[in-house]
Amino acid sequence: MAKANKKATDKEMRKSKKVILNAQQKQAVSSFTAGLSAAILLIALISLVVFIMIKGTAYFWPANVFKVTTISATSPSDTGQVFVKSSVDQAEFISALENRLETQFSGNKASMPEFEVEQPTKVYQINLLNGDEKLGVFSRLHTQSGQYEDIQRLAKIKAEVNLLQADLRSIQDEQLTVLHRKIANLDQKNVEQGAPARLHELELFDYWQSRADELSSQIEQYSIEFTDAMGNPFRVAVKNTDTLFLPNQLSLGDKFAYSASKIFAFVSESPKQASTSGGVFPALFGTVLMVLIMAIIVAPFGAMAAIYLHEYAPNNKLTSIIRICVSNMAGVPSVVYGVFGLGFFVYFLGGSIDSIFFSEALPSPTFGTPGLFWAALTMALLTLPVVIVSTEEGLRRVPEGLRAGSYALGATKIETILKTVLPIASPGIMTGVILAVARAAGEVAPLILVGAVKFAPSLPVDSDFPFLHLERQFMHLGVFIYDGAFHNQTNTQGSSMMFASCMLLLLIVFVLNLFAIIVRKRLRDRFLRL
Amino acid sequence: MLKLFEKETLALESLSDEQTALDVKNLSVRLNDSLVLDNISMRIPKNKITAMIGQSGCGKSTLLSSFNRMNELHQHYAYSGEVIMDGRNIYSKKENVAKLRTQVGMVFQRPNPFPMSIYENVCFGLRIQGQSERRELDEIVEQSLRHAALWDEVKDRLFESALLLSGGQQQRLVIARALALKPEVLLLDEPTSALDPLTTLHIEELVSQLKHNCTVIIVTHNMQQAARVSDYSAFLHQGQLIEYSDSDSLFTMPEKKQTEDYITGRYG
Ligand SMILES: Nc1ncnc2c1ncn2[C@@H]1O[C@H](COP(=O)(O)OP(=O)(O)O)[C@@H](O)[C@H]1O
Ligand SMILES: [Mg+2]
Repeated sequence: MAKANKKATDKEMRKSKKVILNAQQKQAVSSFTAGLSAAILLIALISLVVFIMIKGTAYFWPANVFKVTTISATSPSDTGQVFVKSSVDQAEFISALENRLETQFSGNKASMPEFEVEQPTKVYQINLLNGDEKLGVFSRLHTQSGQYEDIQRLAKIKAEVNLLQADLRSIQDEQLTVLHRKIANLDQKNVEQGAPARLHELELFDYWQSRADELSSQIEQYSIEFTDAMGNPFRVAVKNTDTLFLPNQLSLGDKFAYSASKIFAFVSESPKQASTSGGVFPALFGTVLMVLIMAIIVAPFGAMAAIYLHEYAPNNKLTSIIRICVSNMAGVPSVVYGVFGLGFFVYFLGGSIDSIFFSEALPSPTFGTPGLFWAALTMALLTLPVVIVSTEEGLRRVPEGLRAGSYALGATKIETILKTVLPIASPGIMTGVILAVARAAGEVAPLILVGAVKFAPSLPVDSDFPFLHLERQFMHLGVFIYDGAFHNQTNTQGSSMMFASCMLLLLIVFVLNLFAIIVRKRLRDRFLRL
Repeated sequence: MLKLFEKETLALESLSDEQTALDVKNLSVRLNDSLVLDNISMRIPKNKITAMIGQSGCGKSTLLSSFNRMNELHQHYAYSGEVIMDGRNIYSKKENVAKLRTQVGMVFQRPNPFPMSIYENVCFGLRIQGQSERRELDEIVEQSLRHAALWDEVKDRLFESALLLSGGQQQRLVIARALALKPEVLLLDEPTSALDPLTTLHIEELVSQLKHNCTVIIVTHNMQQAARVSDYSAFLHQGQLIEYSDSDSLFTMPEKKQTEDYITGRYG
């Protein structure tokens, strides 16, 4: 009873509240809502791009170095000095630090340490060849012949070290390896231990070995001594250093030059230090290669499938069911494709190929393991619906009159399709392929299953026959970012590298799309209206 | 009625086989199970211009498309009867349809040049036939464009896109494209209905010249046009051939009541 009553009053209230709008107001409201949602969308999009850009470019820009002195009344272990790299300026750095401490000590002012921040001008940033970085104030250079207080001598010293290293390398390559091979040969021929030939070789080997040892110990003597923020000295071997510079004294031009060299290194070098520094070249290369192979597979298959559906398939239920299936295939979660690729392509197809063509290498698999080709094939399958749908879209745009014109000039169906229909539909095919490429460049989940790894020891292309190694595992930018995001959450430097990779990926996709738009426009201009 | 072009006519009843381009025998066509052409029989004289007139929907286009078997592109299509050309039935199983269409050219209502250069448009049919020798192609292109009265306007821009041409030029290009194959019969399906009056006159003039090269069959629902350009005229009504005779008699003293009603504008 009471319920019914309530319902009735509810209804009444709703009625009275109902605002009646005239047509004009309705239009105003709808256009306002549409405008608002477009604006929100735009803001979301722009903030995403700007965020990635800022975070990504920060990786390349030389950071400032601050010296933080902390004095803690409660815990002496917190007291001390440290050099900290940061891309923000001093004021911002201090406020960020304050915030962090406040959250750390949950606002408990009494136990909070006091700190001082300064921006020391004399601190060097030392980039090591292994990708590591160190900060310190220069004290002196150590060499074979003594110590120097003047850092200007570093260039000369570096040249000396390089000469020594070249000597060492030539001894290793031209003497030691050769001798080693000779001795191994003697071993193989079962030459006695005391045979004069063997003794001669061993003697030579010992001689060169001692020369090499001597050289390495000489090289070891060249080092640079720094002091850290606490004033403790540490040394860096000259042979391990790459560059060193004063980050707080760089002019704007220097900073740009530094960024440029860092960007170049980023796209041309291999990752170092567990993917927290160095470059992403193998991932970039792997992504491009995989996507290229995928495009080569998906474009003809997608186009042929679309041509069959649009030009040849009878207009019946079955065809429309196929069409619905194709568009639904685009919605299948990508990891499902990955599992399918692993189960069908890798284990079944790859296993079969191995047992037929590579049986002598078994049980170690050749194609029966995740690799570049299976990844490309899986991604081709994943992106096939995109290509089919947009090709069909392109085919639908071909005016009936042109088909009729072609038939009326004595062209058969296949000639009509090849000479008239396909050229006009080519922007559609192009769009599909580029969309597919952009998708494959950013996909991660299926790739992890079918061949992308976080670190591949070798590129899939090299100078060994057959040059392109389709069975090899490869690195992929998306997987690289995913891995970086997972394993380097606490390491701010690492996450910056991740953002830089993100920016690169975004850039690739953007460039691809731009390329697609230009090509499509040119084809359209050529084939439709001028 | 206004007489623009010289005509001489033979009696349709006494046409010899040599004088006949197409001999249509009891042709019926069904599209989607509805009877569109109902038992049509007519002889179309060689190197003359024959016009098809009638209300829209009476089957003119369908009849025209029966002559180069373009009807077969329809999904639900059935026919009975014969069309004899050069002594053979073009509907026989042995007929090569693609080849037939090079002998019976067709021009549509809307100009439909391919999105290629003017030159390539004219070459299209030849290239399909496997002709690729440049000198020959050049020659045929020039000749066809001259026949289509377009040469002087486009000779300096042969390699520009055909889509840059005006509507009338495009329609003449499409005619040239068909002429390049040296067809025996040229089918024109309302070639001027998408064009302005002056351009229409231009095309009409061209059509009247074309009969020196081939037999022309033109569909139009402009009766002045039919009277001006054609030697013979056929009046169709609801899929039936009502009257077929030389244009002078058909337009001045039609025998059937339906024809008279139509040409005097009482319906249609
Ligand atoms: N694809 C089709 N399916 C079914 N009926 C059709 C089709 N095309 C045309 N028709 C019918 O055939 C008749 C003749 O059409 P058409 O030859 O184009 O006439 P016209 O050219 O004289 O205007 C019309 O009644 C039309 O409705
Ligand atoms: Mg028509």
